[in-house]
Amino acid sequence: MSGSPLLEFIQQTINGLTLGSIYALIAIGYTMVYGIIGMINFAHGEIYMIGAYVGLLVITVLSLFGVDSISLILLATLAVSILVTGSYGWAVERLAYRPLRGSPRLVPLISAIGVSIFLQNYVQLGQGARDVSMQPVLVGGWRFGPEDGFQVYLSYMQVLIALITVVSMTVLTLFISRSRMGRACRACSQDRAMANLLGIDTDRVIALTFVLGAALAAVAGVLVSMYYGLVNPFIGFIAGLKAFTAAVLGGIGSIPGAMLGGVVLGLAESFASAYLRTEYKDVVAFALLIGVLLVRPSGLLGRPDVEKV
Amino acid sequence: MNTFSRNVLGAAVGAVVLVLGGVAHAADTVKIAVAGPTTGPVAQYGDMQMMGAQMAVEQINAKGGVDGKKLEAVIMDDVCEPKQAVAVANQIVNDKIKYVVGHLCSGSTQPASKLYEEEGILMITPAATNPAITQQGYQMVFRTIGTDDQQGPTAGKYIATTIKPKKLAILHDKQQYGEGIAKEVDKTVKAAGIKPVLFEGVSKGQTDFSALITKMKKEGVDFVYYGGYHPELGLLLRQSREQGFDAKYMGPEGVGNKDISAIAGPASEGLLVTLPADFSTDPANASLVKAFKDKGQDPSGPFVMPSYSAVQIIVDAIQGAKTEDPVKLADYIRKHSFPTPIGKVAFKENGDLKEFEFVIFEWHADATKTPVKQ
Repeated sequence: MSGSPLLEFIQQTINGLTLGSIYALIAIGYTMVYGIIGMINFAHGEIYMIGAYVGLLVITVLSLFGVDSISLILLATLAVSILVTGSYGWAVERLAYRPLRGSPRLVPLISAIGVSIFLQNYVQLGQGARDVSMQPVLVGGWRFGPEDGFQVYLSYMQVLIALITVVSMTVLTLFISRSRMGRACRACSQDRAMANLLGIDTDRVIALTFVLGAALAAVAGVLVSMYYGLVNPFIGFIAGLKAFTAAVLGGIGSIPGAMLGGVVLGLAESFASAYLRTEYKDVVAFALLIGVLLVRPSGLLGRPDVEKV
Repeated sequence: MNTFSRNVLGAAVGAVVLVLGGVAHAADTVKIAVAGPTTGPVAQYGDMQMMGAQMAVEQINAKGGVDGKKLEAVIMDDVCEPKQAVAVANQIVNDKIKYVVGHLCSGSTQPASKLYEEEGILMITPAATNPAITQQGYQMVFRTIGTDDQQGPTAGKYIATTIKPKKLAILHDKQQYGEGIAKEVDKTVKAAGIKPVLFEGVSKGQTDFSALITKMKKEGVDFVYYGGYHPELGLLLRQSREQGFDAKYMGPEGVGNKDISAIAGPASEGLLVTLPADFSTDPANASLVKAFKDKGQDPSGPFVMPSYSAVQIIVDAIQGAKTEDPVKLADYIRKHSFPTPIGKVAFKENGDLKEFEFVIFEWHADATKTPVKQ
């Protein structure tokens, strides 16, 4: 059985887009915080990890109670996870950033790394350091292609991931461009001191940014626990690193940039794994990052004068 | 002095007293460090190791200990990380513990063994199978388990003679253990005239294998050997079945524990695993197996009996050689043989067992296993 190159290419694109969607959701959190306060939130990977844990817990509890409607499970899980993870995002800002506002930039950076280590150990103590696994809630999918040859497989879960990612991104974009709070966010991103002078409560805007970023990380976390079904307290590190790369690749500070960066990174990993060797997928991903930064130092969509949120 | 500082002082004095107490107490105990992962992704194997070692310690103490001294197991967590293993080894050196049962993962055993050799501490690993560990020319390093140059060929021969796959893929996790054994399998099947269509490494902690699976599916791979541990293989299996890639999988003893079924679910049905023979089914161990079961423990894990045996060998050597000097004990162990639950064991000059057998098991979705006839 040797498949057609075209079908394989389509399958690898699907694989890459799924992975890329997850990266993009997490990357938004990095890029938004950077857009507003010009700093990297190093605890963001851990926030995502908490989102995944909450997702897994809620799904397990719901299935204990015999709830088997996918839409109900999904909505309930997303709601709880966003709520819990959002509060962690708010707490990170309140505890590790706000008290240090105005201190040298290195200080909140270190405190965020501290929070990251704290959260990792805190979850490890509370939930155990071992892998927690769960069987898939949503199984099945569509198959395309010849019966006896290579078939492209598109699972319901992959479609769901893409769908939820697109919806979340659209909601976020509308929120930023249309709502009052969104306008305040854009104002803060352009000039925080000036926004403050004009009566915008910048502390609130910054807190909101952290909560929004955390909410999207929660969405990513829930999707990951549903798709892969394996979480442990350390997943935040690698995911955070990849998402941060995606944010920088797309142009840190730019929201469409984070989305694009996530998808490009996901596709790059998938194609490297498919057409080179699996070992090279990270090499290719990071080589791509360096390449892009050499040509465009501010990332794919990042411009020094871009509207940053 | 306010209440707070008084409390602190009180606690400090208490701690000093405790430490002194510990030192006084230490004189009539023989301490064995049991170093392995009690936390982290592969802690299940650490459980097997601790369970076996602790049972040995309890039973030896119940029979009067070591020449009237009580035996004590000091559990140390290395998370199966090389860096942490070195920290643990340093702590063992500082605590003046003379014997180590451990470590578990080959990657953490190797750097730790260097310290033990330099400091003259006797180390017996019940689990690390990478051949390099005993090829360093060390005098203080032993193991109560086979090596990957025994395990790899067992798997490789089975693949070449029984499975005869049309297209074989060999994967590994790029770690010392996983890649090591994958290379052994590769060597064996190549010698039998089978050339794997791909030999690639995934990353430790990787969760998405879809691209790799698509590639294997396109190549028409019908058998996959995976060198590594269960978290990655569990996901690999699950995603393979999801994508409609039906090749049979095989792995080393590092994938053989209950969690593979918890992660992969029905996809773990039919997985082939090379494991040490299940010593818990040996009639000679019936009373020991009963002792485990009375405590609600499962003695069938691959590292339980080797770990029990490691403790027993150290104690037998102390009693046989009439010394507690680890260097002399190492010499004694090399020259004698010991009756243990894993059989009568004798060691080669390099510290490997003279004989050890790996058996192929078929894994089931309910986390049980049955031996495969070869």
